Amino acid sequence: MDLTGGFGARYDGGQEATGLESLHLGDELRQLPPDGFTALLELPPTQALKLLHFTDSPSSSPQAAPIAPPSFASNLALMERPARFSTEHQQNGTNLSGETTTSSSVKTEPAETNSSSQAVNNRSGKRKDSDNKPKSSTKKKNKSSEEKEKLPYVHVRARRGQATDSHSLAERARREKINARMKLLQELVPGCDKVCLSDTKIQGTALVLDEIINHVQSLQRQVEMLSMRLASVNPRIDFNLDTILASENGSLMDGSFNCTAMQVSWPHQVIETEQPYHQHRQLQQPQQWPFDVLNQRAWGREEDQDHGNDHNSLMVGSANLHPNQVKMEL
Amino acid sequence: MQPTSSMNKEFLKKWQMGLQIFRPSIDNTSVSERKRAIKLSADVAMASLRKGTTCWSRALIQKTASEDNFLVRQMLSGIKEETLINKKLPKVMCHRKIVRRSKKILMRRKSRSAMEEVAAKAKKLVKRKTQGLRNAVPGGEFMSNNVLLIQETLDYIVSLQTQVNVMRSIVDAAAAGIER
Repeated sequence: MDLTGGFGARYDGGQEATGLESLHLGDELRQLPPDGFTALLELPPTQALKLLHFTDSPSSSPQAAPIAPPSFASNLALMERPARFSTEHQQNGTNLSGETTTSSSVKTEPAETNSSSQAVNNRSGKRKDSDNKPKSSTKKKNKSSEEKEKLPYVHVRARRGQATDSHSLAERARREKINARMKLLQELVPGCDKVCLSDTKIQGTALVLDEIINHVQSLQRQVEMLSMRLASVNPRIDFNLDTILASENGSLMDGSFNCTAMQVSWPHQVIETEQPYHQHRQLQQPQQWPFDVLNQRAWGREEDQDHGNDHNSLMVGSANLHPNQVKMEL
Repeated sequence: MQPTSSMNKEFLKKWQMGLQIFRPSIDNTSVSERKRAIKLSADVAMASLRKGTTCWSRALIQKTASEDNFLVRQMLSGIKEETLINKKLPKVMCHRKIVRRSKKILMRRKSRSAMEEVAAKAKKLVKRKTQGLRNAVPGGEFMSNNVLLIQETLDYIVSLQTQVNVMRSIVDAAAAGIER
């Protein structure tokens, strides 16, 4: 049937390459609370409206994902000939997780008897809540165990009770992507763990987003403050990082910052030389520093033999001095 | 993932390189001038680590280029210009008041149930938050979908963390040194 071909192609285009998602059906057999169902059903149609715009999918993912309405007409053709398909659906039993790639997918698409009237509304996304309740009762309870056909499309096995048209599948894939990334973010941002994303609550997502925003803003403020501190602490430090680098390097490599490395008294020199700082001599200062440092103790204590080379690479302008210093310290 | 020490090192290297550019004009005495120099070079260093692969880095570079083009050019001499330009998304200019009013009318027309209202409000909340996140992350306006937004946020947070770590360590070290 050309419909399936068209459908498959459309699906392929719509589906991001998430590969095979073998979503298991088992749990979806639970009985849906009628009230909750209507509310949950409300989500996907609004999504259908926004399919072309990029919605905040986290908001929709939690509720829609497990219990999406099965009444979606997975194919435009269904809209046109609803009556015929409704009977066929009853006969073929559920294939609510209908494989998009099956040749008979059109006939076996999930649809309840009442879906005929729904089908027309589905596409436009204007679902009437009154129709939802009858749908739940007529939902097929059979598990689908249809074989996947070998077709050159991305195979996605839809969960039972979920729509299988290309748009919702693509939407669902996007939602899951977002969920995965939100989880990553949660681990990254401190204090987010208590907000459980898997709770599938929209409010949870909003809280997580809030935390993330706060974290980003606090980090930005910290950068501002630190740069201000750096600028004010010492006029020399900022522009002569090379000397600082020498001691920093060891700690940086360890990944932990060790203040003992900086028990250098070179800042003494800096403070003393602040007066001539603004004069032409300042260009010579950088060279003088390392020499001064040599007289102090334990400046290069952390610096081992191996670090000497690194220092060289990192240093600008005073490269030669550091290995010498290190040796002398040792 | 937390910033690794190699990231720290790279950032420091680049940052240093940027600061060197300011060295000739070292006599800019005012603290704010120095702070600006520090911050700009740090930002560009942070962004250049990504070499134009992420949206936020490109936007950040663009921002600093508007303030100090010379610095950016010097620091990013190796990168082509094309990779650094963000594609401007087609924006639909809507009059906000009109949109809001029509939304209100739509909401009134729709049949409402308690759950629906809650869901709609929650969705609105999430939408608002994502918009806030877009404002916080540089270049957020260029990220067309939420997946990209969150990806970029992840990367941006990690980079910010490295920046903070390095800066803080330097400040601490300098402070400790001064005390002696």
